[in-house]
Amino acid sequence: METSAMIAAFVVWALLIGGLIFCFTRMGRGGGWED
Amino acid sequence: MEVKRERWGSRSLFIFAAIGSAIGLGNVWRFPYMTYEYGGGAFLFAWIIGLIILGIPWLMMEFGMGKYFQKGAPGVFEGIGKKWEWAGWWPVFVAFLIVAYYTVVMAWALRYAIDSITMAWGTGQAAAESTTGYFYDTILQISSGPTDFGAQVWLTLALLAVIWILMFFIMFKGARVIGKVVVWTVAIPWALLVILFIRGITLPGAVDGLNYYLSTDFSVLTDGGVWFAAFSQVAFSLSVGMAGMYAYGSFMAKKSDVNNNAAITTFADSATAFFAGFAVFSIVGFLMHALSVGATDVAASGLGLAFITFPAAISMMPALNGIIGAVFFFCLFFLGLDSAFFLAHGGVAAPLRDKLGWSLKKSTLIVCIAGFLLGILFTSQAGLYWLDIVDKAVSFYGLLITGIISCIIVGWVFGAKKLREYLNATSDFKFGAWWDWVIKLVIPIAMTFVVIYGGFMVDIPEAYGGYQIGPFNGSHIIWLILGITLILSFLLGRMKTKAPKEEE
Repeated sequence: METSAMIAAFVVWALLIGGLIFCFTRMGRGGGWED
Repeated sequence: MEVKRERWGSRSLFIFAAIGSAIGLGNVWRFPYMTYEYGGGAFLFAWIIGLIILGIPWLMMEFGMGKYFQKGAPGVFEGIGKKWEWAGWWPVFVAFLIVAYYTVVMAWALRYAIDSITMAWGTGQAAAESTTGYFYDTILQISSGPTDFGAQVWLTLALLAVIWILMFFIMFKGARVIGKVVVWTVAIPWALLVILFIRGITLPGAVDGLNYYLSTDFSVLTDGGVWFAAFSQVAFSLSVGMAGMYAYGSFMAKKSDVNNNAAITTFADSATAFFAGFAVFSIVGFLMHALSVGATDVAASGLGLAFITFPAAISMMPALNGIIGAVFFFCLFFLGLDSAFFLAHGGVAAPLRDKLGWSLKKSTLIVCIAGFLLGILFTSQAGLYWLDIVDKAVSFYGLLITGIISCIIVGWVFGAKKLREYLNATSDFKFGAWWDWVIKLVIPIAMTFVVIYGGFMVDIPEAYGGYQIGPFNGSHIIWLILGITLILSFLLGRMKTKAPKEEE
């Protein structure tokens, strides 16, 4: 793959998965998943 | 007596339902093409900014208002003030018209899934080069124009009936059963996308396709068109502006965390779209390699990608053609299914129940029958022409205009600050005052820009699609659909609201 394509893929995956992980780890109030 | 509102069984079921409604056909057939068309990584940069400053706040607004008033869209705006109730009915009509043709597209996907078993459109290069004819002549049996209805395409109509019956049985017990079903309708297409991705990247030419998908040209960020495309993609992909998210929010318990749920829904929907792009463009790259053509010859969006490009790629695959075909079209079907019952249940049935006091079963049955009856128009031989016109009227203009109006009324009349403080009180994330201005100004201005430059400036000077229907052209029909639904919204808004009955 071209370098720019690989960088784009890596950065976007990092942001999206990072965003999801961040949201999941902040689920505290009201009992997390069982809210 | 206060009527007990239907509820999600747990927070995870709500999140699955919201993700399922946001993830739809557009994740596979629109997002990858937009990324390719508008500069790869540069488009992704603009899109992620759009997700954070537009997508999450907009979704929070719809979930939050539904939760606050414990009603679907019309009940929310009635709660703000009786004179605003019409603004909640307009997106209900948008949802109804969308689901009426969306289910027909699902019926086509089912038809292709069945045809995949025998590879009815053939294998090899000759078959790959004739998939356009297969779609138009065999599947659609398309007529000469929108007034030439021809005969019904009976197989499509039968599949449409099956889809509506299936949807009735999923919806008539309400949110608790929907929550259990969406766990599967989210997981199955994800599993199928993984299969497609693995098959795609093991084919020759896949890397070329991925380069087209993601190669980055940051100089395009100075072009307003890229930002325009990215922001409109955010609006279209999250299922906002279709009434349903208000109802889905209203099924949440009072202590639920809207802010975090909206963020999770947005990130999960976006990750799915981004991943789908890998599956789609690796297979597009294979087709380029197999037919020795350029990306512009095979890269497509919408129906063209699903029903012309993909069947061609499947025809050219060295092995497992039928299985991969079935995987792809069942994937489309399941992607569409939870979006369809989101539109039918959250978008239409829940507001009818709130307004007319109907039971859950009665409102669901009436919506399913009405949706099927309208779907007959789209399964005629002129169906594709009407689908194209109605799609432009409601999923472009209707969605955006009703979204703009909703944000203005919530932001300025109800009060964005009041809503933000209400949401922050039960949330792990606290949003600052900037959120108020996103709802009051940024979304209305950005979406007005999209409506004017992406819509009116094109469709007012030129007849949409070149259609002629009696004295009207395609653009006239679009204005007519918007006008009639707006008048009906005002009429429904003036009607007295009956208290809903206790569920049986």
